[in-house]
Amino acid sequence: MTSYDYQEALKHAARTMVRVKNPRRLLKMIVRFIVREVNLTHASIMMYDPLKSRYIFVDSQGKLRIPVGLVKLDHGNALIDWFSHGERRLKLKRDYLVLSELSSWITDPEIVDRRAALKTCLTQLKVVMETLKAAVCVPGFYKEDLLGVLLLGHKLNGKPFSAEEISFFQTLANDASMTIKTAEYREDILAKNVELEKQKQELERRLQEIAALRKKEQETYYQIVMSLAQEVNAKDPYTAGHLKGVERLGLMTAQEMGYDLTGHKKDVLVASLHLHDVGKIGIPDHILLKPASLNDEEWKIMRQHPLKGAKILEPLTGFKEVANVVLHHHENYDGTGYPSGLRSDEIPLEARIVAVVDSFHAIISKRCYSKGKPIEAAFQELERCSGTQFDPKVVQAFIRAYKRTYANGKYKGESETRSTAA
Amino acid sequence: MKLLIVDDEIEICDFLKSFFEERNYEVKAASSGQAALTAVEQFKPQVVLLDIKMPVMDGIQVLGAVKKKFPRTKVIMVTALETRDKIEECLRLGADNYITKPLSLEYLENDVREKIESLAGSNTS
Repeated sequence: MTSYDYQEALKHAARTMVRVKNPRRLLKMIVRFIVREVNLTHASIMMYDPLKSRYIFVDSQGKLRIPVGLVKLDHGNALIDWFSHGERRLKLKRDYLVLSELSSWITDPEIVDRRAALKTCLTQLKVVMETLKAAVCVPGFYKEDLLGVLLLGHKLNGKPFSAEEISFFQTLANDASMTIKTAEYREDILAKNVELEKQKQELERRLQEIAALRKKEQETYYQIVMSLAQEVNAKDPYTAGHLKGVERLGLMTAQEMGYDLTGHKKDVLVASLHLHDVGKIGIPDHILLKPASLNDEEWKIMRQHPLKGAKILEPLTGFKEVANVVLHHHENYDGTGYPSGLRSDEIPLEARIVAVVDSFHAIISKRCYSKGKPIEAAFQELERCSGTQFDPKVVQAFIRAYKRTYANGKYKGESETRSTAA
Repeated sequence: MKLLIVDDEIEICDFLKSFFEERNYEVKAASSGQAALTAVEQFKPQVVLLDIKMPVMDGIQVLGAVKKKFPRTKVIMVTALETRDKIEECLRLGADNYITKPLSLEYLENDVREKIESLAGSNTS
């Protein structure tokens, strides 16, 4: 091979090898390639073993190869020390060692005169290189850390190494160092990712468990609240079956007003229509079921039921809006209602709908405190209180929707509720 | 300075043989337990570097036989095995040191030299 061909071959090999991502494989490739192409007594690679803080041979090929696994070099070894702390060695090169150069340094008065320690050190270095049958040693660094050493035996033809060859070995040593470090980082990152993924999954699993428990708890609670609501209505024979009627009338009115009846908002409205009086469970029966008019003291207690209802719904995190409707379903449009004296739009729309629908139902049903009235009279009553007790928009929508829905059946609302009550 | 190297890996025998020869030792190598016993009889080394893990006759058997017949011969166990049991057994059978692979060549040479010097010392006394 001409010098040019040779260099091209080396460059080509280097380009191929840098693409190898597995460091062990790359090191073996480098060693085999060098022994074959450069014709050496041996080529070996020593690498740092961080677990035991030592340098060991990972591969060695050639006639004079060093048995892998037999020899280690500790930090105190002259060769390791030289490359690790070379910057102290003044002008002597740290980036590689050539045995023949080393020999000439030892006898060069310019270098070793009056520097006995350096001479000792160089002599030790020479012994190490001779022991390992190395003509050239090229270190591989990552930043300041010595990762390994590429050791090259003598050429079989006895010729010295050219500067190009040594520079090629340096390229290989650098590439190998980068590959090793990159692989280490990649493994590190992979390991960390796996760990993180595990933690994430565990966390998600726990969150799901908690969510499931919560959901179950809430469902149970919701069922309790619903049965309470039914209990309240069942107490009063005139409002038994009232819930279905109220729900239907409420939805009808809401639709008439263009209320969004898809999904969550509908749920809020339906729940509000069902649960608005759930607080009455906390009102003593002698007041709740009193056949005569209530006195002031009794009214005071009776008027606590919206607040009591809201309190009952408080633990249901998904029922915040419903609880708010329940709290305000006795507010009046003109601000004279209870418990907060809210007016017009301050009152939740659902609460304004509940107020109208509930009152209408009360009017047409025979309640203990008033006689059931025909539907026309009930409409008149709603219109009379429109703007004071009720939101006029809701009253209008309610009457419109009711009349359209029951146009052919002469307002069957009353008889219907009666029949379901029976 | 006569040294016998016993290891079933020829490569290791060759490497250590040349290492010690370069340091002016008279070295023989054996690659099996039986060959080691013959070499001890004929070559009469001062120090034996003895691998434990060998087929047929292992280093511990060789150690026992050598120490029985030539109690003054120094035996240094050189092995990759490092269980406590093995170390204790070797020491009980009279091994003079126990070095695990990978080893420091410097340490190995110092130890071999030390053993030979101790023999020389006991001879003169």
